[in-house]
Amino acid sequence: MRQEAERFRRLGYFDTTFGVEVMGERPRRFVLTFEVFECTAVREVDTFEGQPVDFILSGPLAPWREMLANIQAHGRADVAHSINTLTHFGESLRVIYDDPDGHDKLYRFAESVQEFFDLSAGVAIDGARAGAAATT
Amino acid sequence: MSYLSTTDFFDDKDFVDRYAYTMRTGELDLSWMNAATEPVACEPQNQRRGLTFRDCDVGAYGFTEMPELIRSNRSFAPRGAEIPPGVPDLQAEVSRKSEVWAYNIEGYYEEAMSRQWNATTDIPWADLSKYELSEAVGKAYAQLLTFLTEVEMIATDVPAKWMGRLNADFFEVKNFIATQAMDEARHAEVFRKRALATGWGLMKASWANEHNLKFLRDADSFAEASLTLHLQAEGMVLTLFRFSEFISPTDVDKKMFRLVMQDEARHVGYGMQHLKWVLDHFPEKREIIHRHLDEAENFVFGGGYATEVFEPFIILAGGGLKKEQIEKGVKITAQFNLKQTDEYFERLDKCGLPERRERSKLALAVEMAKAAIAAA
Repeated sequence: MRQEAERFRRLGYFDTTFGVEVMGERPRRFVLTFEVFECTAVREVDTFEGQPVDFILSGPLAPWREMLANIQAHGRADVAHSINTLTHFGESLRVIYDDPDGHDKLYRFAESVQEFFDLSAGVAIDGARAGAAATT
Repeated sequence: MSYLSTTDFFDDKDFVDRYAYTMRTGELDLSWMNAATEPVACEPQNQRRGLTFRDCDVGAYGFTEMPELIRSNRSFAPRGAEIPPGVPDLQAEVSRKSEVWAYNIEGYYEEAMSRQWNATTDIPWADLSKYELSEAVGKAYAQLLTFLTEVEMIATDVPAKWMGRLNADFFEVKNFIATQAMDEARHAEVFRKRALATGWGLMKASWANEHNLKFLRDADSFAEASLTLHLQAEGMVLTLFRFSEFISPTDVDKKMFRLVMQDEARHVGYGMQHLKWVLDHFPEKREIIHRHLDEAENFVFGGGYATEVFEPFIILAGGGLKKEQIEKGVKITAQFNLKQTDEYFERLDKCGLPERRERSKLALAVEMAKAAIAAA
């Protein structure tokens, strides 16, 4: 994100803390904090209990992997793999929240969130390439 | 011309002589240097963010200590400035803080300013040439865009209408409303441009929705306008933008809807925080709020007349006009409609109006619709 600082600065203030949850036999949970124009912290946690997150993006490994593979194949998420599309009806990924105000932060910063995940196009990800063939 | 100066300055010999004397001799008045105000030197608390309104919330210049009734300033004097005798009474229609204030209003303004985008240059319009939409999908999309342009025109006019009527001391609110007027003008612009880029142009204006939009525009008070515009209408439109991103036929359109939903979510945030402020500080206004929402929801329910709005959703969600596509589109659109109203009541609940669902005819209609869908 630092390498693409100007891209995120252009989008404006990005002030949210959200969780990413990958469900499965061994669930993994991460808390990502964004402030002003940067990602200031990423922490792995055992539980979101007690964590001050605005919302949580949660889903099994398969849709996460498919999304990342799609981004790697196309340079960014295509029409079927944007965060909003995948979470809209909660069938692939879902958004978990306590407060609708926190939930709405996903939309207040929608383009910044999407561009953050689209950055994975430039990152080597284990397992993503196997899914890439399925989405091209 | 409704306001005239009480003085013809060209005929005021004392004024003309004094001005000429000053320019000739350099003998300045300088009484303004002893302004009865507080010297301050505000600094950014966060250098990366810059100097924000929150950094300037000090003493008489600040907003935290502002009283509920603004009696001292009826002019354009900026909050904290010395107000000399003889300034005109601008007769601001709204001088009660509870009519306009919201938690974090200063934060919403700063966010709005930093997240402005350009409908002409930030949408990759040239990429549209890669896509070809069927006639049914193209026309449905052009119709949706026509409706959205209509809606956003009123959403521009309503905040703009109220800006000049608020007391000048509500500086942060007036500034936020100015950003909303700009946001909504940009939405009307981008939807109009996208319609004109579809190959079909604009389609049909919406009778039912125009009446709803007139209800929003003709609100008797800013508080009523804000409740129905920011919270009810824009809350539902936010869900609509998210659904539109979901059914968007191209990634150009997905980007467009992501950008508009950012602005919309910010307006909804203001609406929610304003309602929370009002209910926290003036719980006796609860019943008035319910009565406003009764009529707002009446218009929402009447929106069902607008086939030119929900039919395009069905076609876009299903991908066309074949029987199986319509069936798919109806199911998805019904889910969207239920989501729209569920999220509306969820927001009201969290703002401190949990009883709204029980007394709302709209909630009852939604429960009946859910039961009918479950039974089908």
